[in-house]
Amino acid sequence: MLGKLDWSAIPLEQPIPLIAGGVVLVAILGVLLWVVVKGYLPYLWAEWITSVDHKRIGVMYVLLASVMFLRGGSDAIMMRIQQAIAYQSQGYLPPEHYNQIFSAHGTIMIFFVAMPFVIGLMNLVVPLQLGVRDVAFPTLNSVGFWLTATGALLVNLSLVIGEFSRTGWLAFPPLSELTYSPGVGVDYYAWSLQISGVGTLVAGINLVTTVLKIRTKGMSYLRMPMFCWTTLASNLLIVAAFPILTATLAMLLLDRYLGFHFFTNEAGGNLMMFMNLIWAWGHPEVYILVLPAFGIFSEVVSTFSGKPLFGYRSMVLATMAICVISFMVWLHHFFTMGAGPDVNAIFGIASMIIAVPTGVKIYNWLFTMYGGRIRFATPMLWAVGFMVTFIIGGLTGVLVAVPPADFMLHNSMFLVAHFHNVIIGGVLFGAFAGFTYWFPKAFGFRLDETWGKAAFWFTFIGFWVTFIPLYAAGMLGMTRRMQHYDVAAWRPWMFWAAIGMALLSIAVICQITQVVVSIRNRDALRDRTGDPWDGRSLEWATSSPPPVFNFAFYPDVRGEDAYWALKQHAKEQQLEHAEPEYQDIEMPRNSPTGFVCAFFATVTGFALIWHIWWMVILGCLGAFATFVVFAWRDHDEYVIPAADVAAIDRANLEERRNLVSMAGAV
Amino acid sequence: MSDLTHHPVQHDLAPGEEEIHSVGERIVGYVVGLGLALLLTATSFFIAGTNLVWQPSIPIAIIVLAIAQMGVHLVFFLHITTGPDNTNNVLALAFGLLIVFLVVGGSVWIMSHLNENMPAMDQIMRMQ
Repeated sequence: MLGKLDWSAIPLEQPIPLIAGGVVLVAILGVLLWVVVKGYLPYLWAEWITSVDHKRIGVMYVLLASVMFLRGGSDAIMMRIQQAIAYQSQGYLPPEHYNQIFSAHGTIMIFFVAMPFVIGLMNLVVPLQLGVRDVAFPTLNSVGFWLTATGALLVNLSLVIGEFSRTGWLAFPPLSELTYSPGVGVDYYAWSLQISGVGTLVAGINLVTTVLKIRTKGMSYLRMPMFCWTTLASNLLIVAAFPILTATLAMLLLDRYLGFHFFTNEAGGNLMMFMNLIWAWGHPEVYILVLPAFGIFSEVVSTFSGKPLFGYRSMVLATMAICVISFMVWLHHFFTMGAGPDVNAIFGIASMIIAVPTGVKIYNWLFTMYGGRIRFATPMLWAVGFMVTFIIGGLTGVLVAVPPADFMLHNSMFLVAHFHNVIIGGVLFGAFAGFTYWFPKAFGFRLDETWGKAAFWFTFIGFWVTFIPLYAAGMLGMTRRMQHYDVAAWRPWMFWAAIGMALLSIAVICQITQVVVSIRNRDALRDRTGDPWDGRSLEWATSSPPPVFNFAFYPDVRGEDAYWALKQHAKEQQLEHAEPEYQDIEMPRNSPTGFVCAFFATVTGFALIWHIWWMVILGCLGAFATFVVFAWRDHDEYVIPAADVAAIDRANLEERRNLVSMAGAV
Repeated sequence: MSDLTHHPVQHDLAPGEEEIHSVGERIVGYVVGLGLALLLTATSFFIAGTNLVWQPSIPIAIIVLAIAQMGVHLVFFLHITTGPDNTNNVLALAFGLLIVFLVVGGSVWIMSHLNENMPAMDQIMRMQ
C-alpha cells in the first residue's frame, strides 16, 4: 500500500537531522498558526499564493532562496566544523551523514538558492526595465515558481523521512546506480531536480519571450538596460541547457526504476556518458547563474558612478559571446577522464577564451567608475567587492583550465576554493547587490545602510578567511569531500577555514538584522519618489512599490538610459504635464493553477520516491485535471477602470511633485 | 498584454500565428507540404530496401532525406520563412541547431576519443 515507506524511514537513531527537522517543523507550524489566528490566510491566498503579478512572484522566489540559503549555510557550517576537528579522528558526523550533508549543500545552494534568487530578481525587475505591465505568460510564471518550491520541499522532506543522496551534488554513476545506492537518497535528489527543472525551464521560456516580444515603445534591443540583455542570454541558456539535465536524470531514473543500463558498469552501460551529458548542462548552468549577476553589477556600477555604462555595445557583445562559448567548454570538468590530448587541448583553449569576454566586462565596469562621482552605498560595495573577488576566482579558473595543471588539482580543495570564489564572489555578491538595490522598489523603503555595510564587510573578509586556506590545503594535496584525514599539515588551514565560516555566519546574522531593523524603521527609510538611488532605467520611473499595472502609460523610450534622459531633459515639464487621458487597463486575473499544480507535483514526486504507485497515478491525474480546468477558463483578465488608474497615478505624481518642490525650496 | 496593440509596435510573427492569407491558399500550402512529406517518407523506405543504388551510399541518402523532411516540416507546417517578420523564429532555429550540433557533435567526438584511449574490456581481450 505505501511502497517502500514504513516507520524505519524516520531516522530515529540520528539525532542531528531529527532535531533540525523538528525545529523546522515547529517553526513552520508556528508561522501557520500565527497566520491563521491573525486572519492573514485569505490575504495570503488572494494576494500572494495565487498571484500572477511578476513582482510578487519575484519576491516569493527571493524569499524561497533566502530560506534555503539558511539551510544550505547550516550544511556548510557543519562541514567546516567536521573538517576542523576530524584530524586523526571521526569528528562528530558519521561518514554516511557527512556525505549527505555535502551532497545536500551543493544541490541546495545551486538549485534552490542561486537559481531562485537570480530568477526572482529577473522576474521582479525585467518587465519594469522594459517599461511594460507584465511578463509574457503570467500564469505559467506562477506555475514555474511553485514547481521550484516543490523541489525545495522534497529536498527538505528527505531530512526527516528517509535520507538524502550521498553521491555529491551531481550524483555520478555508478555510485548513484541502484547497486551502490539502494536507498531513496538518489531518488529524492533526482525527482526534486526533475520537478524544479521543469519550473526553471518554464521560467526561462517566459523571460526569453518577455524580452524578445514585450517591450515598450522605442525600446529597441540596443536601448535595453544591460540587465535585460544578461537576462536574455541567461534564459536562452536555460532553454537550451535544462532539457539536457532533464534527459540525463531521466536516463539515470530509468536505470534505477526500470532496470535500464545507460550508465551501469555491466550490460554495455557507459558511465562516462553521464559525466559528458551532465556537464554539457553543468557548464552553461554556471553562466546561467553569473550572467544575471553581471547585469546587476552593470546597473549598480553605472547608477552609483552617475555615468552611463562604459562600452555598452561591447558589453552586449561580450554577453552574447559568453552565451555561445559557454556551450563549448564543458569537457574541462573532466580533463582527467581520459579523452586524450587533442580533446583536452581544444577544450582547455576554449575555456581560456571564455575568460576574454569576462575580462572585457571587468574593464568596462572599471572605466564606468573612472571619472565618476562614486557613492559607496551598500550595492556599490558589493559590486566593488565582486570585482576584486571575481578576478582572483577567474584567474584560478584559467589556471585549472590548463589540462596539465588540472591533472594535479582535479577534485582537490583548490578546485573547491576556485568555484566558491566565483560563485560566492560572482553570483552571491550579485544577488545581495541586487537585493539591496531593488529592495526599495519592491517594498517602498530602503534597507538600513549600517547593517548592510556590516554584512558586506563580514562576508567579504569571512569569504577570504574561509577560502584562502582551502586553496592552500588543495596545494598541499587535500582532496575534496573528506570526512576525516591524517595529514598534520592540513589541520591549521581547516581551523582558519572554520574561523572564516564563523565570520560568514555573523554576516548572515547582519543580513537578517538589516531586514528586521529596516522593517522597524520603515517610515524613516520610506522611498516616496520611487527613485531612491538617482537611477537610470525605467524601473525607477514608477512609484515604489509599483502599482499592479506598473505604468499608467507605456513610457516612450528615446535612447539608452531611458529614465535618466527623461529626468535630464524634462524633469519639471513631465511633472507639470497637463492631465493625461487615462485609459482602462486590462490585467491578468490571479489563478491558483500554479499552487494546485505544484501540490499534485509534490504528491507525485513523493509517491515516485517511495514507489507508491496508486498515489503516482492520482497525482498525475490531479495535475492533468488542473491543466484542463485552466485551459477551459472563460475569463483570464480583469479591467482596472480609468478612474482608478488616474487616482493611483495622481497620488504618485503628487508625491514626486512635493519632493521636487521641497528640494527646490532648500 | 492585448493593450500593447494600442501602439503600432513592429513585431514578428510568433510560431502558430498566421500571416493573412485566404483559406484556399493555406489549404494548398498544407496539401503541398503533406505531399512532399509523404514522398520523402516513401523514398526513404524504398531506398533502405533497394538494390538499385550503390550500397554504401544508402545511409547518406537516408540522412539527406531526413534533413529534407525536417525542412519540409519547418517551411510548410511551422511556417518558418526568411521574411523580415520571421527574424526571431529563424534566429531561434539557428541557435537551437548550433547547440544541438555542439552538444551532439562534441559528445560523439569526446566519447570516440575516450573509447580509443580506454577501450572497453572485451575490446582489449580481442586485441590480445
